[in-house]
Amino acid sequence: MNKILKPKNSGAVVFTDVDQVEQGLALANYIASREISTVVFLALATDKPILIEGPAGVGKTELAKAVATCLERRLIRLQCYEGLDEAKALYEWEYAKQLLYTQMVKDRINTVIKDADTLSIAIERIASQEDAFFSERFIQPRPLLQAILSPEPVVLLIDEVDKSDPEFEAFLLELLSDFQVTIPEIGTKKPVTIPIVLLTSNNYRDMSDALKRRCIHLYIDYPTKEREMEIVRMKLPGIDQDLAVQLIDAITRIRDLDLKKKPCISETLDWARALMALNAKALTPDTVTDTLNIVLKYREDTALARRAINEIIG
Amino acid sequence: MLNILTGFAACCRAFDLRVSTGEVIDAARHLGLVNLADPVEFRLVLRANFVKSRRDQARFDYIFDLFFNRAGENEDNAPDSETEHIVALLDQELRQRNDQDSSDQDPMEQALVDFLNNDPLNLIDRLHQMHTMEEPAQRFFKSNMGQLSNKLSIMLQINALKSRIDTLVDQTYQGRDAASLKKTFTNRLDRALDLVTREPGEINNLKEQAAVSAPSNDLVSEKPLANLTPLEVSQMEAVIERLVRKLKDRASRRFAVKNRGAIDIKKTLRNSGKYQGVPLDIVFKNKPPRKSSIVAICDVSGSVWSGARFMLTLLYSLHECFYRVKSFVFVADLVEVTDLFDSLPINHAIDRALGQETINRDLPTDYGTMLQTFRQGHMKDLNQKTTLIILGDGRSNFLNPQANILAQMREHCRRIIWLTPEHARTWTTGDCEIMAFKAHCHEIRTVMNLNHLMDFIRELVV
Repeated sequence: MNKILKPKNSGAVVFTDVDQVEQGLALANYIASREISTVVFLALATDKPILIEGPAGVGKTELAKAVATCLERRLIRLQCYEGLDEAKALYEWEYAKQLLYTQMVKDRINTVIKDADTLSIAIERIASQEDAFFSERFIQPRPLLQAILSPEPVVLLIDEVDKSDPEFEAFLLELLSDFQVTIPEIGTKKPVTIPIVLLTSNNYRDMSDALKRRCIHLYIDYPTKEREMEIVRMKLPGIDQDLAVQLIDAITRIRDLDLKKKPCISETLDWARALMALNAKALTPDTVTDTLNIVLKYREDTALARRAINEIIG
Repeated sequence: MLNILTGFAACCRAFDLRVSTGEVIDAARHLGLVNLADPVEFRLVLRANFVKSRRDQARFDYIFDLFFNRAGENEDNAPDSETEHIVALLDQELRQRNDQDSSDQDPMEQALVDFLNNDPLNLIDRLHQMHTMEEPAQRFFKSNMGQLSNKLSIMLQINALKSRIDTLVDQTYQGRDAASLKKTFTNRLDRALDLVTREPGEINNLKEQAAVSAPSNDLVSEKPLANLTPLEVSQMEAVIERLVRKLKDRASRRFAVKNRGAIDIKKTLRNSGKYQGVPLDIVFKNKPPRKSSIVAICDVSGSVWSGARFMLTLLYSLHECFYRVKSFVFVADLVEVTDLFDSLPINHAIDRALGQETINRDLPTDYGTMLQTFRQGHMKDLNQKTTLIILGDGRSNFLNPQANILAQMREHCRRIIWLTPEHARTWTTGDCEIMAFKAHCHEIRTVMNLNHLMDFIRELVV
């Protein structure tokens, strides 16, 4: 039951079913599972933000980039951290510019208040000109405001939203439900275009129910063997078939060990590149031992993997 | 379709999944966009809309299978009309009995009959209440038989229903029909039994930190905290003092970051006087990073005692790095010791906090009661900026751990970090309940010696 969706902007790429999304993402060099393409399709069709959870390095940020590429849209990225405030994320008044303008138009201000008899009348007159100083001219848009004011629709990536403070999460609510932003001095800024919003989280803390309710949820886990194989083949077309199979098997077994940090997809690719550079035709205990520090990033993890080297090679 | 969807949403809510009306509307919209005949897509749409965190996915899958995939019912099942007939007979029988004697009415029986009639909501609701039921506060003779005895009575009811159905089927049908009907009902009742005995847990992708280096007896900082002699404890104080000084230096650098946040207009204007009114020297409002507030709950029984001692020392020595530190100690009762640290020097306060006059250490450890007491009196201390640190081995003397209270606490605070002096391999042995608590923690770490503890405090502060 595939309904044809009306394009929101002429010339924009529009997907009509899940398979098209899957193909589109593949063209953008992203091998998506059925779940990923379904959720992306639903989000595109209904303008809902996607909240992506999953361990580090499984391609959460990469998905946002791939969505932007396949839709031919600009990607605006907001990296969250503790202490991020609306001045960094939403908008900021350009105080310096305001002050400079005040200095420059000093004479003009004098003419406005020249024939004022009392101080209160002078202040009244200046107050009536206040809008000149609190206008859009002096607003510096930050990523969130840029995303909704952009004349071309964009993809907005709010990365590691779990690192931000609860106060910032509250700012996001208005944006995520109505795609609008309220600036007290000016009023509510309505969206020019509706961005596609992707939020990623590493589960450092729980997001509020209010935020979760506004999003579609997607959990990306470590890829299955088959998917990881496809990814390796796509990114490294020159890799030896037998080596690739051995490599994926070894990585899967390494992930089963009790590690501090499990290797992610980018580490699999780095390892494959290293093995190709070494001209390795097959995995042997020696090659694995020599190259293990590319896959594992903690001394204890490397030591554990060295002890289990025979299990890893299988 | 909408009826099925709202029915399923009701079941999810009965199982503590928070599904709002907005999410049901979204799911309905989304279902219109995908191929409904594809079971994978159907499941994916509902899951993406109803479940908003990884932790709830296992629960969702369980309810989904129960509601949509009648697992175990294969083709040679009895036709629907015959099963409906038997269910109608049972329902009628139950009604008659209730009409005759309303005092004897048991809602669980009705829930079971509804379950056989493919309406699991009532049963799920009752069973979930039973699974999360709390033990009443007990003082001397403690038991955790409440849940068990409830389960037993339901299991007996299921058995009785099974034999009643067998009799009814034998009276109404014969031959192959009767056999397949019995099989259908047995399968359904087995699923009900499965619901009673097993509740799905949460998948929790928490940060699990194994003990990085194994404890040894060579260095005092690597020696297991439980094995320290009084002399070594006093030696340790020097080590801790050094660490505290280092951490304070690093933290003070962090908190002294300048040129952040909004412009300080007053100061900028004042400075502009030097340049004939041109604001060349822009002054920023100094905005230091937020300090976290900490609630520490320490088990002070047996082997965990020494760990609690050092953790409290470190937390209070570094109190200027935190917005606020509240601390509690417990064995069977929970006692707040924050005041002691406010009024006495750290070492005296620790001796007093761990002393017999503050807390009765002869009672058996009881995590369930501790959590209950905390919820009653101190839940207001937790907010979205609080990190809750629990130090304990999770050994609860086979008393009910009441881990669902910890789940409620998780909703009120920013993070829950559990420190245990035991290695992961012993978490499933004996009366250790760490696995039950683990589902609700953000991080769980093994802290066996001072080095492990220092690593943890370093991450917390810097």
